[in-house]
Amino acid sequence: MKSNSVKPRPKERRGRRAENKDKTKQAILEAALRLFADKGFYHTTTKAISRKAGIAEGTLFNYFRTKEDLALYFFERELDAVIEWYEGDARIRRAALPERLFAIIQQSLDRLAPYEEFLGAVYLRSLMPASKLSPWNLENQERHLRYLRFIRAILADAEAAEEIPPVGDFGAYAFGLLHLAMITYWLQDGSRGKEQTLALLDRCLKMGTHFLKNGGWEW
Amino acid sequence: MVNSKISSGALTRGFLLGKLGLKLAGSYLGYQAQNLFLGEGERPQRQARFQQQASRRVREELGHLKGPAMKIGQLVSLGSGAFLPEALEELANLQMHAPGMHASLARAQFKCVLGKYPEELFREFDPEPFAAASLGQVHRGITRKGDAVAIKIQYPAIRSAIENDFKLFRSLTLPGRVTGHVPAALLGEFERGTLEETNYLQEAQNLEFFRKELKGLTYLSIPRVYHELSGDRVLTMSFIEGAPLRNFLKEKPSVAVRNLLGERLVEIYYTQLHWLKAIHADQHPGNYLFQPDGRIGLVDFGCVKRLRIEATEIMNSMVNRSWRAGDAAARRFLGLVEGVKMPLHQARKLLPAAEASADFLFPQGPSANPVVNFCDPKLLELAASNSKQVLRNRLLNPEYLFVSRAELGVVHLLHELGAKVNMRAVWSRVSTAPAVGHHHA
Repeated sequence: MKSNSVKPRPKERRGRRAENKDKTKQAILEAALRLFADKGFYHTTTKAISRKAGIAEGTLFNYFRTKEDLALYFFERELDAVIEWYEGDARIRRAALPERLFAIIQQSLDRLAPYEEFLGAVYLRSLMPASKLSPWNLENQERHLRYLRFIRAILADAEAAEEIPPVGDFGAYAFGLLHLAMITYWLQDGSRGKEQTLALLDRCLKMGTHFLKNGGWEW
Repeated sequence: MVNSKISSGALTRGFLLGKLGLKLAGSYLGYQAQNLFLGEGERPQRQARFQQQASRRVREELGHLKGPAMKIGQLVSLGSGAFLPEALEELANLQMHAPGMHASLARAQFKCVLGKYPEELFREFDPEPFAAASLGQVHRGITRKGDAVAIKIQYPAIRSAIENDFKLFRSLTLPGRVTGHVPAALLGEFERGTLEETNYLQEAQNLEFFRKELKGLTYLSIPRVYHELSGDRVLTMSFIEGAPLRNFLKEKPSVAVRNLLGERLVEIYYTQLHWLKAIHADQHPGNYLFQPDGRIGLVDFGCVKRLRIEATEIMNSMVNRSWRAGDAAARRFLGLVEGVKMPLHQARKLLPAAEASADFLFPQGPSANPVVNFCDPKLLELAASNSKQVLRNRLLNPEYLFVSRAELGVVHLLHELGAKVNMRAVWSRVSTAPAVGHHHA
């Protein structure tokens, strides 16, 4: 189990300077997120962000050249947080595969819930090839690889425990697609408390693992 | 795995589902269809039993419809006498099962309703459910103040799934409704009742009503609602001690205890009929919890029927066989049971069933023993066939259907319990007491 698990990026030895830098970045992100939640991604200016974070606009520019860079940093942190949460939750790691996978997507949606509008905006931007948020962007791909390795390790555990047959790296890709599809569904889910998303996710994962395991309909 | 199992059954089912154009994500029926093969890991024994016996029979009988649709189908087939009495209990268990939820889903749904995770609101929350409930499952918990509670959580989006199924069912049964084979009034009644069952706030109200009105029965416990920890899809209630009948009987309770419990079950039921004019209409045997000292717990008030019919007068008529007194009396009795629309000559066909029912519950005559021995399996068959005969009638007052079903449920419970009860004595005690449960004082 341990050998397969993926840690958040190893923390290299860093000086106080680097730590301060991280703190400022974090402060800027928090300020920006609060503004995104209030005013929306498009209507939030870099000026407003720097004012809220208590820094000069020029300093902001040193950290994040554009709002898109901020968004990239946000997703980077989100992935860290989900991995950290997963590694830290002993009950989840012992649960059956459908629950583990459910919990990962649900945890990420739960964390994203306050930033729905922001996500919608990012979603649209990501459709433009020149955008840093596009899936072709190499930084995006790096993060995506990190995510895929995280999922692959979980699936490898399930393979070792014979919960599912070997699926190789394809499994992680497929789950990544499901994750994206669920976020899309969740963004437009108008049901009370977005409960339709929960039901759909639950059914998809149960069906998916069932078919993987049994290879077909048996009824 | 070579699939030698492609039976005509599987093909038919596939075809049926395809024909109905079911969307698996949006239909309760779809959930149930999936549950047929997603069983393992969730309630394994129950699922196995279910798959082996009842579900086969049920699906054969009902053209493979399950869930609320099955509930209606069940009624329809009760009407045509297609059901074996022993299938009734199994059916009652099957009625409204939602798919099982793992802890992560239950927690997420809890937050979806109350805005916070259970651990944030309770001192303790058991992630493993201890019981299945109508449309959800029940978890144990301990409140911040230290009270033991049962927390009922509904499977997400089940209400809209059921609404979809009713739409589907309405279009499917249009021919049946036109020809009168599917009673439209019953269908409406069931849609209302089923949707009501998805609203736990309604259940909370029911709980309070029954708790208040039945508090004269000091041996009876009904859960108390924790409003601040409840919503329309989450219901937090005080935890009720006791074992369901099957487990209780494993402890080999004495004849005296069983007879006492039997009498109390009847008293609880008659008190509801006579004083509350409302009945706990979910006759699932697991809803009764028994304790060795004779105390009884009654849980799950999702399905409650308020009666507008004259239940007391019907009961008195049964005890005294009022219809024998002449045409006017017969007309009066049949009017109470059938509603006024039914022509008398047709309604009269019901009288033999009423006679049989009365002879069974309230034996009369010099040689008759007023104590009914519910151990006798013949009585159970008689009760079931009476009930079927009554239900076969298409113009039946739908409310009477609930009463009849509830009565059958009580009889069933008394049979399992192996109790001997003087029904006539209990009825006259309940109906002549100055107020609910006052004979105890």
